[in-house]
Amino acid sequence: MTAIQAPVGRRALPDQAARRRAPSKVWIYALLTLGIVLMVGPFLWMLLGSLKPQAEFLVNPPTFLPKNPTTNNFERLFTNLDFPRFFFNSSLVAVAVTLGNILFCPMLGYALAKLQWRGKRLVMGLVLATLMVPAGITLIPNFVLMRNLGLVNTYPGLILPFLVGPFGVFLTRQFMYGIPDELLEAARIDGATEWRIFWQVVIPIAVPVLATLGILTFLGSWNSFIYPLVMAQEPEMYTLPVALATFATGDHQSDHGLLRAGSVVLVVPVLIIFILFQRWITEGIATTGLKG
Amino acid sequence: MRHALTAARLTAAFILIFGLAACGTNKGSTAPASQAAGASTGTGASTGTAPSSGPISGDLTVWAMGNEGTKLKTLADAFMKDNPDVKVNVTPVDWGQAVAKLQTAIAGGTTPDVSQMGTDMMGQFGATGAFEPVPADIDKSAYFESAWNTNIVDGAVVGVPWYVETRLLYYRKDIAAKAGITAPPATWDDLKTMADAMQAKGGAKFGISLGTKNWQEYFPFLWSNGGNVVDDAGKPVLNSPEAVEALTFYNSFFKEMLTPRSVPEGFDITPAFVKGDFPMFFSGPWHLSLIKEAGGADFTDKWAIAPMPKKTTATSFVGGSNVVVYKASKNKDAAWAFVKFLSDPKTQALWYTTVTDLPAVQAAWDDPAVAADPNVKLFGEQLKDTKAQPASASWSEVSSAINDTLEKMTSGVLDPQAAADEMQQAAGALGAN
Amino acid sequence: MTAPALSRRNVADTGTRPVSTRRGWRQDLTGWAFAAPFVILFGVFMALPILISFLLSFTSFGLRDLQNPIGATFVGVDNYAALLSDAKFWKALGNTFYFVAIGVPLTLGIGLLIASALSRGITRFRTVFRVGYYLPVITSIVAIAVVWRFLLNPDVGLINNVLQAVGITGPEWLANPTLAMPSIIAMAVWRNLGFAMVVFIAGLQAIPVTLYEAAAIDGAGRWQAFRYVTLPMLRPTILFMLVITTIGYLQLFEEPFVMTAGGPLDATLSVTMYMYQQGFTFFHQGYASAIAYVLFVIVALIAFLQFRFLREDA
Repeated sequence: MTAIQAPVGRRALPDQAARRRAPSKVWIYALLTLGIVLMVGPFLWMLLGSLKPQAEFLVNPPTFLPKNPTTNNFERLFTNLDFPRFFFNSSLVAVAVTLGNILFCPMLGYALAKLQWRGKRLVMGLVLATLMVPAGITLIPNFVLMRNLGLVNTYPGLILPFLVGPFGVFLTRQFMYGIPDELLEAARIDGATEWRIFWQVVIPIAVPVLATLGILTFLGSWNSFIYPLVMAQEPEMYTLPVALATFATGDHQSDHGLLRAGSVVLVVPVLIIFILFQRWITEGIATTGLKG
Repeated sequence: MRHALTAARLTAAFILIFGLAACGTNKGSTAPASQAAGASTGTGASTGTAPSSGPISGDLTVWAMGNEGTKLKTLADAFMKDNPDVKVNVTPVDWGQAVAKLQTAIAGGTTPDVSQMGTDMMGQFGATGAFEPVPADIDKSAYFESAWNTNIVDGAVVGVPWYVETRLLYYRKDIAAKAGITAPPATWDDLKTMADAMQAKGGAKFGISLGTKNWQEYFPFLWSNGGNVVDDAGKPVLNSPEAVEALTFYNSFFKEMLTPRSVPEGFDITPAFVKGDFPMFFSGPWHLSLIKEAGGADFTDKWAIAPMPKKTTATSFVGGSNVVVYKASKNKDAAWAFVKFLSDPKTQALWYTTVTDLPAVQAAWDDPAVAADPNVKLFGEQLKDTKAQPASASWSEVSSAINDTLEKMTSGVLDPQAAADEMQQAAGALGAN
Repeated sequence: MTAPALSRRNVADTGTRPVSTRRGWRQDLTGWAFAAPFVILFGVFMALPILISFLLSFTSFGLRDLQNPIGATFVGVDNYAALLSDAKFWKALGNTFYFVAIGVPLTLGIGLLIASALSRGITRFRTVFRVGYYLPVITSIVAIAVVWRFLLNPDVGLINNVLQAVGITGPEWLANPTLAMPSIIAMAVWRNLGFAMVVFIAGLQAIPVTLYEAAAIDGAGRWQAFRYVTLPMLRPTILFMLVITTIGYLQLFEEPFVMTAGGPLDATLSVTMYMYQQGFTFFHQGYASAIAYVLFVIVALIAFLQFRFLREDA
């Protein structure tokens, strides 16, 4: 980490003020590094813990590095649990939910920002209000509804309630406001239908914001817990977090190694996705007009 | 006027969402069983009629929690071997989320055929009317009486004991010897003396580990002192002189710093016991194997278990799980056959060797597999003097309030008399609901 | 379709061309066509269950009604009236406000500091830092609980072992009624500041560099530049984050749910936690629904006030 504190190259800096105070940067790096230790340290410990045998969790004082590293915990993910199945379930649900959100939310966002129609304020108000209702309260009504639709313990049952959400509408509507009306008017004068304008003018420039929405939605779906817990009644429909909570927490003592190995596997896919797309998130949010 | 309007809308919306069931995808559910809870009349506990005997077949879904959930497949396979036409699907459920999951399943009418049910959950879930009454040909005398009684809800027997657990004293022999004590505590006074000595002379950090907010740990003291939760008429008696005395004794361990006033959430006693910080604690049979595992081979001679110390009696708490069959089951014959299979002494002994769950069926205790372990026999002895919580619909609420009050007492906010009065008041809800 | 509605809509229109009723119809149709997929899914799977739970708050829906919800007794505003004298509810409300009052400023403050440092203070390793600080945001609560139980465990936990190393006997974080809520706040801030950071970075990127250059020429230091350039320019972003974070924090649930179950001595019992307890532990779904809608009104009110006051005095 010493490299961080080395003087920064003389390439063009974003602004002069920062360059003038170059020496104090050491402090900034130091503080940021301390912060990162606090943020990432626990995860590192989780990773190390996933390599420990059960007995090592019970020694006091605890060990930080595993004394007898083992991959047994990860192997048991496959032997004890139907891990590929849970992984597939989580992925399928998250991808479907993400696709729904990045398709239907911008459609409404566009209609709210750029079209005039009766009922629009009502729709907006209702969508806004749902953000403020504690989620758990709809669990039973939702379950009864799903049961009456025959969707309990099915993929549609896990997906449908999350195919659209208020957050996506806010994000996209905010972005659509920023699109110049002239751009749309020009297309209208050319005789394009609103449907064509949406697909050929609006969507191409909305890609960053849709990417943001997509990533955030995927993360939310991947990590959701209580709803899939009640809706997936049989193990073959369990998602990863549900399976982990079910199989790795014992009655009187947790299976610490399995729990940590499972947690690692839970985090790694979304971490990869985030690293790949993290640039999009800031860019996407920057285009929504939330900027200064 | 406004009320009428709201009521009308209410009804409309209910029909919209819930009423769909009547004409929609009504996949094989039975008629609403709303009046079921009040179906039984007369004195004593009534049981249902015996199911038709004959060959059984079809699918059977069984929900089981925790360890039982992950291991039940062993028994299901044995059952399917005897009944090749039945396919048993076992669904493991995490204890932490079992209540929410069962509750939504009952509300949605998507219950399994059979499920495990913690004895302390019987009152609450039994009152929903979702359980099928137990057929008359299941003989109650085969089970421990205190375990059987946890199945009586609103006068009807709606479940069958599966396994039991009771609490004994685990203690460190080596630390006791260091403190000059060679025998396990026989009385309450002995227990106190021993805790004192182990902390003062034995070198232990604390004398004992007692729950700061756990009614299951307090009630054995209440019962052993001649007190009770409710009297024979079902009226709460949690502030009786016996109860106050029991609370005072329980609280004295906290006041004298023999046990800590607060315990972290998810505290694991096993390593602390092995390390010697806590040389005594009350727990169930599951700790036998946990300690063996954590302590290793050279730890075997350093600890032992002992029955409840005696006051008026030496009564412990009986817990465990029952099995219930749901009214909505489409395959009740197979469901009851499976329940009877679980109650068979041979199955009970097999189950003991699989997950070390103590048999709820008395005859299973004669099985060599169970009788072999002297520690397990001690649990068997204790089971003869045990009591359970009342099977009330509002038990989860009342027990939660009792735990809250216990926490206030053990942390020093309330004195035992005030705590007893607060518990008594909370227990007023037992008759309600 | 009535005349007043039509004329109001005309005013709202761009007004460049005369608008005929026929065109109004077509506009409505287009608007609703775009909205339809969302509105249908939203209506069935979100609005309807919410409406039902709202109606349930006027009933005594409990465990005996579970199999037959239509049979639940209509009790008017009894549930709401009972809440007024429910000491536990008030305690939970107090705890929730405590959490919000400390947690929101901390989350936004630290998030903004890190965002400023990352976008203007340093030039290297930005991606590494950004990913690191964001890591908790993308992690499931199941895994976070595993991590934090270990951190805060008084005997084998990381924090107390570090304290031990410098000679301090660490407290029992979650078992101590005074320290439990601060521990929960620390956990929530740790978990959420990454999102605040990312949004603030986006906001900061949009501030023209020329403003900082001008400030530097005027002799402004780093703090003055932050005070007189960053803060005013970032106002809309801060407002957005303030409202979103407050709404989210007022519904505090997951942290106490996985860490403390509301204890010790109800010190971390939040309103949503209490709602869950009433609804799913005690089966008082009617009462739980009333709790949810009281919270809804409080959240809406606070969000409205934040918008009102912070937007006006810009």
